[in-house]
Amino acid sequence: MMLSKERLTINALAGNFDMSRPAVSKHIKVLHSTGFVSIEDIGRERYCTLNEEGFNQLQNWIHYFDRFWNKKLKKLEVLMNQHTKTKRKK
Amino acid sequence: MQKDIQHIWFFQHPPDRVWEFLTKQELLEKWLMENDFKPIVGHRFQFNTKPKVKFGFDGIVYCEVLEVVPFQKLSYSWKGGPGKGKIVLDSIVTWTLTPKDNGTELILDHKGFAGWKNFIAYMVMNSGWKIHVKKRLDNLINNTNAHKSTGI
Repeated sequence: MMLSKERLTINALAGNFDMSRPAVSKHIKVLHSTGFVSIEDIGRERYCTLNEEGFNQLQNWIHYFDRFWNKKLKKLEVLMNQHTKTKRKK
Repeated sequence: MQKDIQHIWFFQHPPDRVWEFLTKQELLEKWLMENDFKPIVGHRFQFNTKPKVKFGFDGIVYCEVLEVVPFQKLSYSWKGGPGKGKIVLDSIVTWTLTPKDNGTELILDHKGFAGWKNFIAYMVMNSGWKIHVKKRLDNLINNTNAHKSTGI
């Protein structure tokens, strides 16, 4: 969570870890492609910031679909009971 | 933080009846969404619903049937996004049916939210990072203390 408070260059980040700069760079690229990290070029340096929106968006989706399925399954239950009743009447 | 969705429901109907409602296009439409579903592995289909602009969702769920075990299991991919083919939601929906006394237990698993794979990778990576940072910090603190004691 080093990035949560500040904007760091890839070099500065790499300096903190037992990982080569290219390895850190690769991790950052993955995080960037998923929207978790923003990359900004300032001058000759590349700065990274943690993008909280990336995390929040995923949580939004999950909460949304959790409610969605609950609603739909209730509907399915009602529908199935109705169908069975009409069938029996016939 | 929540990362998967699971719902377990009990229906007072046999599995073949529940299966019909999961796999027959016209029945599926009645409780879930408009669709062109077919219970054939590899079949690509869509669910259509109202767009949710707030979530960057254009109302189309792009799916592909991944697994069909009649009356037991059904699984499809579940992808969506803001439109123009951009996918921000990449997940998998799995239905599991188990016969029970007087009915069927239906388990819905909605998981594999693509972002989470990377998030977990991130957390794993991060914990590795933390250990190294802690080591550095400990060294730094110890050094500072050493300096202090020499200073006094």
